[in-house]
Amino acid sequence: MRKLFLAIALATLAIGLAGARVSAQENPSAAEHRRLFREGAKLWPVYCNTCHNARPGSEKAPYEWDQIIMHMRTLGNLPAGDVRALVEYLKSR
Amino acid sequence: MPARRIFSIFLFAFGVAALSLAGLARAADSDGSDAAAMKEIRGEMRQMREERKRDREVIRSLEIKVQQLETKDSRVEATTQQLQNTDQKLKETTLELQQTNVQVKTLQTKVDAPIASSEFGDAVGRYLGTHSFTVTGAAGGDFIYDQQSGALNGLPHVSQNSFFFDWEPMILYRPTDWILFQGVISTNFGSTGTGTDLSAANFQIFLNDYITVEAGLFDQPFGDWYETQSPMWVNRFVTAPLPFGVEPVVPPAELGVQLRGGMQFGELGQDFDYTVWVGNGPNFSSNVLGAAVSSPTAVANSQTNGKSIGARFRIYPLPVDSELGRLELGASTYNGKWANGNWYNSWGVDFNYFVGNLQTRGEWLESYRQMPNGLGADNRQGWYVQAGYFLTDLNVPCFSDKLNSYLHRFEPLVRYSGVNQRGVSTDDIAGATGVGLGGVQVGLVPDFGINGSPATYAPHAREVALALDYWIAPSIVWQNEFDLELPQTGGVFVSPGGAETPAGPIPNDRAFLSQFTIGF
Repeated sequence: MRKLFLAIALATLAIGLAGARVSAQENPSAAEHRRLFREGAKLWPVYCNTCHNARPGSEKAPYEWDQIIMHMRTLGNLPAGDVRALVEYLKSR
Repeated sequence: MPARRIFSIFLFAFGVAALSLAGLARAADSDGSDAAAMKEIRGEMRQMREERKRDREVIRSLEIKVQQLETKDSRVEATTQQLQNTDQKLKETTLELQQTNVQVKTLQTKVDAPIASSEFGDAVGRYLGTHSFTVTGAAGGDFIYDQQSGALNGLPHVSQNSFFFDWEPMILYRPTDWILFQGVISTNFGSTGTGTDLSAANFQIFLNDYITVEAGLFDQPFGDWYETQSPMWVNRFVTAPLPFGVEPVVPPAELGVQLRGGMQFGELGQDFDYTVWVGNGPNFSSNVLGAAVSSPTAVANSQTNGKSIGARFRIYPLPVDSELGRLELGASTYNGKWANGNWYNSWGVDFNYFVGNLQTRGEWLESYRQMPNGLGADNRQGWYVQAGYFLTDLNVPCFSDKLNSYLHRFEPLVRYSGVNQRGVSTDDIAGATGVGLGGVQVGLVPDFGINGSPATYAPHAREVALALDYWIAPSIVWQNEFDLELPQTGGVFVSPGGAETPAGPIPNDRAFLSQFTIGF
């Protein structure tokens, strides 16, 4: 069991260092904003309804969506790119 | 003026002298004419004195006038100076007014112009700071009536009709865009009065697009129910399915570390995700057969002797653009040791599919518990399937538009769930062990989200739940549930000392629950 834990820890460290941290996002262009918005509009009713009723973006302030989307990304194991699209859509409404 | 006066005196003297010299000259010529001449001279002298006097008066008058003019001149100068000063001040004031006008116009332009959303966002962002938090969660109140139609192995029971309330605030704190803290406290007024339970508290660290570390106390990421379906406003029913209720097959929560993430493998919506974790391991209310599996224990607890390890994988094969709906297929396993080296293993599969107004989900899970002292294994199985349909598109012709709009908010549901296990501990049924969902003591008394029916403690419990939800908003719901408890024969009840008694036939039971819930 101890070797297994060690292997998992090392694998995590290796993958974590190899990947680009999600926060290191450049400011997207206007065209990229539009693309994310359209993609988010598609994903919002699908991803959210998988577990619960989709709640409109107007229910929360944009800064709150920044936090809630992190929570939902973890809970739903949502792909990072799709999360960026979802938050773009939710914060625009 | 003194100069003029001196000049006049000099002129006068000069005149007198001249006349005297002229008189002396004439005297030599004629004495006769002297008298006349003297008279004439005196007349002239008198005239000259008068003229001198007049001149003095004129001079004095002129001096006075000059003085007056000088006084007036100084006044004029002073006035002129004052006027110049005033003029300067006016110029300065005018300049200031012009500048003020420019500023006012600039401000007016800014006020009239609509503020850009980015500027507003920046302003709010500065106001809120870089560290931000929000409160979400849920609150609900319910009324539960349970028929409790029959005794259960001699344990006392009574029909119940009681109100309960539960509030579960969730704090999300975001110090950076790659770290999140989540804390959930469950506070309730239930069958044992007020109580508080720490449901979850963990850090979530987003290493990159594919790996998130979650460390702390978290819902068991086994299947779907504990993680995503247990919040009261998310659960379509008031109660939990039997394998996640008073007879849980896997522990509801864990204290440890997870690695998790998701990725797209095909078109938009075709995703795959994973969750692997280690934790403190399972715990049981006692060492007897059928003892309830409970929330994680402290490291020092003697009931555990090794860490647990779990994994869950899910796949979503349908693309979003296919409009075929969303299908989720998952598999989970959770394994560890309890009570000084006895194994506990569990595994399960789950599905979730929704398309349009239809949503279905189900799970099947099974566990193996190695018993001490060579006793037979304590195996358990559980399952549930459920389906719900929103009446959003249903229009009854004889109904008015308003009535149809109310009808659209209803969602009828049905769920079938069951548990099979060799035995059930009577201590757990009596609520003596003080364990259960989130540490809430359970027993033959309803509690928030638990109907309290004795039949739910049957070794082979079965339940059909019918529900009718009325959705006021996406996260505000009034739920009504009718439970039909249909336990099967088989299994045993186990005393605290380990003595086993065949369960025999257990009476069916009915329960009604009505709950109002707000998710925020």
